[in-house]
Amino acid sequence: MYYQLINFGNEEFHAYPNKSLYWKRLNTLIVSDLHIGKSISYARNKQFLPPYDTKEILNKIFVSLDKIKPSNLIIVGDLLHDVFSALSIKDQDYKNLSQYTKNTNFIWIKGNHDKNIQIEGFKNFTNYKIGKFLFTHMPIKTSLFQICGHYHPKVKIVHRGKTIFKTSFVHNEKIFILPSFGILTGGLDVYSKQISDVLGKNNLSIYPVGQDKVYKFKLK
Amino acid sequence: MQTFHHVRTGSDVVVFAPTGAGKTLTGFINPIDDLIKFKKFKGLHTLYISPLKSLANDIVRNLEKPFKELDLNISFQVRTGDTTQYKKQKQKQKPPNILITTPESLALLNSYENAKEFFHNLKYIIIDEIHTFLDNKRADLLSLNIERLQTFSPNLQRIGLSATLKNKQDAKKWLCRKKPKIVSYENSVLPKIKILESKERIPWSGHMATYSINEIYKEIMKSKLTIIFVNTRAQAEYMFKNLWLINKKKLKIAVHHGSLEKNLRLKVENNLSKGLVDCVVATSSLELGLDYGDVEKIIQVGAPKGINRLLQRVGRSNHNLNTPSKAILVPTNRFEFIEAKAAIEEIKKNNLDKIDLKEGSFDVVAQHIFATACAGQFDINDLYKEIIKAYPYKKLKLNDFKQLINLIQDGGYVLKNYDQFKRIFQLRENKNIYKLVNRRETRKYRMNVGTIIENPMLKIKLGTKTLGNIEEVFIQNLSQGDSFIFAGQVLEFQSMKNNLVQVKRSKSLISKIPSYSGGRMPLSTNLANSVRALLAKSNMWESYPEQITEWLKRQKNISKIPKKDEYLVEQFPRKKNFYTVIYTFAGWHANQTLGFLLLRGFKELNYKPLGFVANDYAIVLWSLKEVKEIKTILNLGLLDKHLDNYLEETSIVKRLFRDNAIISCLIERRLPGIEKTGKQVLFSSDLIYTVLKKNEPDHILLKSSYEDAKKNMIDYDRLREILKKIDKKIILNKLTCISPLAVPIILEINRENLSKKETDEYILEDLENEILKEANVLSIN
Repeated sequence: MYYQLINFGNEEFHAYPNKSLYWKRLNTLIVSDLHIGKSISYARNKQFLPPYDTKEILNKIFVSLDKIKPSNLIIVGDLLHDVFSALSIKDQDYKNLSQYTKNTNFIWIKGNHDKNIQIEGFKNFTNYKIGKFLFTHMPIKTSLFQICGHYHPKVKIVHRGKTIFKTSFVHNEKIFILPSFGILTGGLDVYSKQISDVLGKNNLSIYPVGQDKVYKFKLK
Repeated sequence: MQTFHHVRTGSDVVVFAPTGAGKTLTGFINPIDDLIKFKKFKGLHTLYISPLKSLANDIVRNLEKPFKELDLNISFQVRTGDTTQYKKQKQKQKPPNILITTPESLALLNSYENAKEFFHNLKYIIIDEIHTFLDNKRADLLSLNIERLQTFSPNLQRIGLSATLKNKQDAKKWLCRKKPKIVSYENSVLPKIKILESKERIPWSGHMATYSINEIYKEIMKSKLTIIFVNTRAQAEYMFKNLWLINKKKLKIAVHHGSLEKNLRLKVENNLSKGLVDCVVATSSLELGLDYGDVEKIIQVGAPKGINRLLQRVGRSNHNLNTPSKAILVPTNRFEFIEAKAAIEEIKKNNLDKIDLKEGSFDVVAQHIFATACAGQFDINDLYKEIIKAYPYKKLKLNDFKQLINLIQDGGYVLKNYDQFKRIFQLRENKNIYKLVNRRETRKYRMNVGTIIENPMLKIKLGTKTLGNIEEVFIQNLSQGDSFIFAGQVLEFQSMKNNLVQVKRSKSLISKIPSYSGGRMPLSTNLANSVRALLAKSNMWESYPEQITEWLKRQKNISKIPKKDEYLVEQFPRKKNFYTVIYTFAGWHANQTLGFLLLRGFKELNYKPLGFVANDYAIVLWSLKEVKEIKTILNLGLLDKHLDNYLEETSIVKRLFRDNAIISCLIERRLPGIEKTGKQVLFSSDLIYTVLKKNEPDHILLKSSYEDAKKNMIDYDRLREILKKIDKKIILNKLTCISPLAVPIILEINRENLSKKETDEYILEDLENEILKEANVLSIN
C-alpha cells in the first residue's frame, strides 16, 4: 500500500489511503470515527441503510492489522455509533477481535458517540498520552501535540473548472485530525467554522485521500 | 357533443384536440350536466387532474365566471401544494362537488385514513394534458392512484384530454377501461412556420444564436407580443442578456424559466396575459396550458428536437382555432437548419411524434405501498391485483412486488438485521395483512410524496429578496467575487450560508451562466428520420440559403450524402490522430451510449482510442491507430458485451439510484423539522449504492435503477433497433481529410470523456503536480 509521509511534532507518520495513520517508530496504528453500527441506529428511525457497514469496517480493520501487525491500535473515538450498534457486532466478530487483542494492544479512546458504552474485555480511556503526544477524540487545552478525530474532515478542491470533495487528513502545527474510518459516514469541510475554530484557517497541511494514494497539499 | 354522448352512455373517453380548441371545457360538460340534474349533490362528484399548479389555478379562474353567470349551485375548489392547511382541512370535512388538483395532491388524498369515504361517490375523473402523463414516473404514480379511486368508487368514469398525438390508441389503453372511446378533433388551420432568413453566416456548431441577435430583435419589433422559446435555462439567460445589450428601442423584455422564484414567474405570466410586455424569453416552463391570448408570434431558437414539442410551442401564439399560429425558427447551427426544415415539412404532413409508453418504475410502486399503509391496514393480494390493473404495471411480477413490500418494511436486505425496526408489519393472525407500525410514519410519507426529483438546488438572495434556485454544483465552482447571470441580471457571488447564496448586483462584463444538467432532450426518432430523408433530397438544396447549399454540395463532392436508410461512416487522419465519424441521427442519449461502447470495442482491438464526442446526429471517435474493422464491430454484440460496463463507469445508474432511493422512501429528502441539504442526500445515496452494489447486487432498487437507465438515459431500445440492422447499411468512406459534414462535430471536441472516478484522480494529480512545480520540490512518494 502506498502511503504519504507526514511530519508532525517532529515525528514521522504514514497516512494510508484506507484512512488509517501509522506511527512507525512505535509500531502504532491509529484510526478514528469508525461509527460501527450506524445503519442500525438509522434503522431505528426507519431509515434503512444497507446493514453491511459493521462487517465492512471490521474487515477493513482486520486487513490492516494482518498487514502491519502493530503493537498498538489506538482508536481516537467513536468506535461505535450508539448504544444499539454493539448489537450489530456478531459473536464471530467478537471472537476475531479478541484474537487480535492477543498481539495488539487495543487503546479505545471514548468519543461523544460511544462515551457511555462498554465492551467486555476492552480497556477504554478519555485520552491517552505518549511522550509529547496526546491522543483524544476532540482537542483539549494543552501544550502537547494532539492527534484526534471527531470532525471527519474533507476538502473542497476547485481545479480547472471542476469541484470535487475528498476525505482528508489535516493538521496545523499542534493539532492533527484524522478522517473517518467508517463506511456510511459523511464529512465536514476543513474550512468550516467547526474545524476552523480548532485549527485556524492558515498554514494547514491537507492530505486528500485518493483511490489508492494519499496526496499532499499545503494551503495558505 | 360526441364526447358528451360517449360519456353519457358509460364510456371512458380520451379527447384529442389541438391547443386552443377549448378541450378543457369539453371535459366538464358531463359532470356539470349531472350536477344540475342531481340538484344538491352531496360530496365530491368530479376530480380534475392538471399537470401544473398554475394550470389548476387557471381552470378555477375560467370556471368562476360562467358558473356565476349561470347561477349554478355547484361548488368547486382547487387543492395543490400551495393550498393552506386550513383550507385543506375544510375541504376534507366538506368536500366541494368539483376538486381541481395535481397527481401529487391526489396521491396525498389517497393516503388519508378516510380516503375511501371521501371518494366513494366520485363519478368522474378528468385528466387534462394527458399526453404529458404518458411516459414518465408521474404517469406511473397517477395510474396507480386512478386505480385506487376505481376501487373506492367502481362506477367512476375516466375522461382524458390530450393534445393531438400519433399513437392515440396508446393513450386510450393507458387510461380507459369501460367501453373505451376516442374522440378526435383535427387542426383545421395549419400554423405558419418559417425559418429566419438570416444575412449572417450560420455557425458550424454551437447553440447560442448570437449571429442572428439583431434579426431576432427586428422580429420582436414587428409583432405586438412575442415569446422566444429556447431549449435550456442557460440559453434563456444568454438570449435575454444579448437582447438587452441591443435594446435601443427600450422594448419591455422579460425572462421566464423553471428556476426563477415563483413570484417572479407569476409576475411575468401576469404581464404576459395583460399584454404589458413586448417579449418573453422562455423555456418549456411556458409551454403548457395557460392561455395568453395576445401572443402574436413564437420564435423558436435552437433545434426543435421533436414535432409534438414544436407544435405545442407554436400553439402558444394566436391561441384560438380560426387564426393560424405564427412562428419563426432560428437554427443555431447548420445541422439545426436541416432539422428545422424537416420539422416544418412534417408539420405540413401532420406527421406527429409517437409517445412511447414505458413499463412502470418499481420505486413508484414502493412509494404507493407506503401511501397505502398510511391509509390503513391492507391485504397484499388485493393491492397487487389493483396495481396490475394500471396499464404501466400490467406486467409487474408478483415476486418483484413482494420485494417492494420488503423494501418498505425494512429496506429489503437479504441480511435480516432490522426485524425489530420495521416500518410496516404482518399481522400475526393473517400473514397477508400489513399495517403501519406507527402513525408517526405517515408524516414521513407525506413530506416525501412525488416523483419529481430536482438536482440539489440553493436559493439565491439579492439583499432580502429571493431570486430563485440555482444548482449547487454551479455555486461550488464559484469563488467569492465571481459574477454570473441569473434572472437576467449580472450578479456577484458573495457568500453561501445555510443553503442561501448571497449575491449583489455587479457591473462585470465577464460572467458565467449557470448550466442545468437536466432536460437535455434527444432528437425524436420521427424527426431524425425526416432529417435523414431531407438531407438525401438533393433537389431541395437550391431552395436553402446559399451557405447551406454550398456546405451540402461540397460534402457530396468530397465525400458522400447518405441515403435515407444508410449509415455513413467517414474515416480520415487529422493532426497525429485517426478519426472515425458515424452519422447515426440516433439522438444524443443513444449516440453517447454508442460512443462509449465503440471506445471499448476499439480498445479491445488495440486501435488505441483516445476519446469520443456525440451529438444528436453523429459520433466522432479519435484514436492513435487506424480503425480497420468498423463493420465487424458495429452490431448488437457490441451492446451486449459492454453495456454493463458503460452504466457502471459513467455513474449513470448511481445517479438514478439517488432518485430511486428517494422516490421509494428508502432515504428521505425531507425529515419533519429538518431540511436535508441536497449534498447530504446525494452523499448518503452514493454510499448506499456502493455498499449495496458490493454486498447485494440483486437488490430491488439496483434493479430498478438499472431499468430506469435503460428506459430513460441511454435510449436502449432505439440503439438496439439501429444496431440490429446497421452492419448491412454502412457506407464506409475513407478520406484524406475532414469532410464538410464532419466539421460541426469535430468542433465539439473539447469535452472530457473521463469517468468520475478517473476525473477525481486526474484533478488531484494535476493539482499536485502544479503545486510541486510551484514549490520547486520533488514528489515525496
